[in-house]
Amino acid sequence: MTTTGRPARRRSGRTARPDGRAWRFLAPFLLVYVFAMILPILYAVYQSMLTVERSGPTGLGKPSIGFAGLDNYALALDQTAFVESFARVLLFGIVQVPVMLLLALVLALLLDQLPDRWAGLLRSAYFLPYGVPGVIATILWGFLYVPGISPIGEVLGEFGFQPDFLGYDNVLWSIANIVVWEFAGYNMLIIVAQLKSIPQELYEAARIDGAGPWQTALRIKIPLVRPALILTCVFSIIGTMQLFSEPLVLKKIAPAVTQDYTPNLSAYFDAFANANMYLAAAKSVLLAVAAMVLSFGFLSLVNRKQRSER
Amino acid sequence: MPTRRRLLAWGAAAAAAGPGLAACGETAGAARMTRASRRRPGQRAHLVMWTWVPLRKAVALWNRKHPDIQVTVQMVPANTSGGYQKMHSAVQAGNPPDLAQIEYWALPEFMLSGALTDISAYGADTLKDRYVDWQWQQGVFAGATYAMPQASGPMGFFYRKDLYEKWDVEVPRTWDEFRAAARKIKKRSGGSYISAFPPANAQWFSSFPWQAGARWIRTEGDTWIVDLTGEESRRVADFWNGLLRDGLVLPTQDSQSAFFKALQTGRLASWPGAQWQDALIRGNAPGTTGRWRVTELPQWERGAHASSNWGGSATAIMQGTRYPREALEFAHWLNSAPESIDLLVAAGYGWPAAKLELAGSALGRPDPFFGGQRYNDVFQRSDRHVDTSWRFSPTTTQSYARIQDNFGRVLAGHGGLRDALRDAERSFVDDLRAKGLKARAAS
Repeated sequence: MTTTGRPARRRSGRTARPDGRAWRFLAPFLLVYVFAMILPILYAVYQSMLTVERSGPTGLGKPSIGFAGLDNYALALDQTAFVESFARVLLFGIVQVPVMLLLALVLALLLDQLPDRWAGLLRSAYFLPYGVPGVIATILWGFLYVPGISPIGEVLGEFGFQPDFLGYDNVLWSIANIVVWEFAGYNMLIIVAQLKSIPQELYEAARIDGAGPWQTALRIKIPLVRPALILTCVFSIIGTMQLFSEPLVLKKIAPAVTQDYTPNLSAYFDAFANANMYLAAAKSVLLAVAAMVLSFGFLSLVNRKQRSER
Repeated sequence: MPTRRRLLAWGAAAAAAGPGLAACGETAGAARMTRASRRRPGQRAHLVMWTWVPLRKAVALWNRKHPDIQVTVQMVPANTSGGYQKMHSAVQAGNPPDLAQIEYWALPEFMLSGALTDISAYGADTLKDRYVDWQWQQGVFAGATYAMPQASGPMGFFYRKDLYEKWDVEVPRTWDEFRAAARKIKKRSGGSYISAFPPANAQWFSSFPWQAGARWIRTEGDTWIVDLTGEESRRVADFWNGLLRDGLVLPTQDSQSAFFKALQTGRLASWPGAQWQDALIRGNAPGTTGRWRVTELPQWERGAHASSNWGGSATAIMQGTRYPREALEFAHWLNSAPESIDLLVAAGYGWPAAKLELAGSALGRPDPFFGGQRYNDVFQRSDRHVDTSWRFSPTTTQSYARIQDNFGRVLAGHGGLRDALRDAERSFVDDLRAKGLKARAAS
């Protein structure tokens, strides 16, 4: 193998293509990956281009399947409620992701200052909500939101506030609160892991140069956990786009959560309530494309910034 | 070993399949059609039934009496919480149950996906006279019968006798009196309401236009006609809109913890609801034993007895069964034999679809929870006065959800119920068209 023409700064240790042995090790993974990921995706893309053709009186005769081309995509994009659901999760993400990551970062930095014994205990405590499945968490929070049952509402009522957590304008932020509660601890743990990998010499050097805890945090820790922040941010963007179980569970008690509240809910209701698999497939493909554009867009944005800083 | 060549082959196969797969991979509707298989004398038929109604006792009784036709009950999640999804998938995959629990409003959806067996071919129509007519008609499409009616939910007016007396309010007999009573209750009780208004329950709401004589869905030739904004519907919408605006009803979702708490504490003094809610009230407000009574729904015209219905389901014989005759025989027994109905009533399944003498059945007994009232007499009268020409569309799940979405917006202060219905009518028609059906709005 020759290296002529290749960029000189290419990272070493990675050859161009895996050899026979590598394929053998990769086989179990690839087999599952192809059957559980690639084929279903291809099948969904294929389904998204089909439609049911009806016949007979009032259309109740025997139906047949026809090729629809991009009709389902046009139909999906024609539904204002579906398009609005993208705007809704975007708004949700713009507010919720920074709040959650800031909280995770602050918690991680605080834990880093504590003696090990306390840090371990608190770390588990903050991480605990992640162990509660999203559906259960939402049911739990649901009880805290429902007017007439909620103890929070009762206490605030004593002071003259009548918050309607499930109201038309508030329910999105009530969902955001649940998501923050669930995932702040998880993201904190990723950042903590990155903090642990920072060599102690850097801290010593900083101390010798006269940096206090504030300066150490701002000048050393935060820049060095940047990769973890980027990673958690990408995860959060994808998670936000796929927001599903929280609104689905809250829907039962909050009429403001419509069946097109998030793109995922919209596809779900088309597939399983409305028995229109093909339209649902089109919506899912659109959602996947949007999530991909957003996360790769974010990655290329931060990478470009990184490169220009060098 | 999967070489790259094999991976490429997979990819090529998937790509080449293209529209050609439509023939083999995708079927519209049922993958397996009903065909009666011949039984040798003494050979057993095994039937599987999917339901969420607690009818195991009745089925056990059948199995004891009919050793040659054995029925297995498999519990599925109730209706749209997962049961229907599972049924649709099973029909499409070609392994459906022989019988399934399907609500009246969902029957057209299952018809649309070809999931039901035409049981007229197996002699169902001779049994027609044993059932209440409007319920039988829910399973009839283009002159053929597809489902055996099981139970319904005639509407009535549940009220707290003690509270009405305490506040000196007369039990309303017309909707005008209902509004007047709502004002009195609000003024005299200090925090109680005459009724809840559940914004996300279009089935509940639709029972009022139904009572007033509206027809939300009808067909003309091969076209579905949607009419959510007719005179009767507008009148009902404006009526409830006024109550909401004046704060005379409690906007809360029914059958949720807050609703049950309101029933228990007297925050709700009454509730226009379906017969099957007797069990819900009894179970969730045990502290109010003896204080409830039932009377007929308030009327638009004094002295009339117009009624309507909320809920109800059928036993459908699914497309693909090998024993359609046996399944029909069982479905008929389950829903009409007095010994079966008594067991089903005890399990709280609703109002029987079979014509029935109340006096001899479990429904005819005085009930201590309702202060010794024979409250089912009220529901029997109600059942007889249900207007029988109400139909459902094959997009009810989705289209009723749109009504609910719009009502949610009204409660948040955006527009009125009348506008909400007008907007829902438009999307209702779009839903039908998206399914490949011909549809238009009535006005």
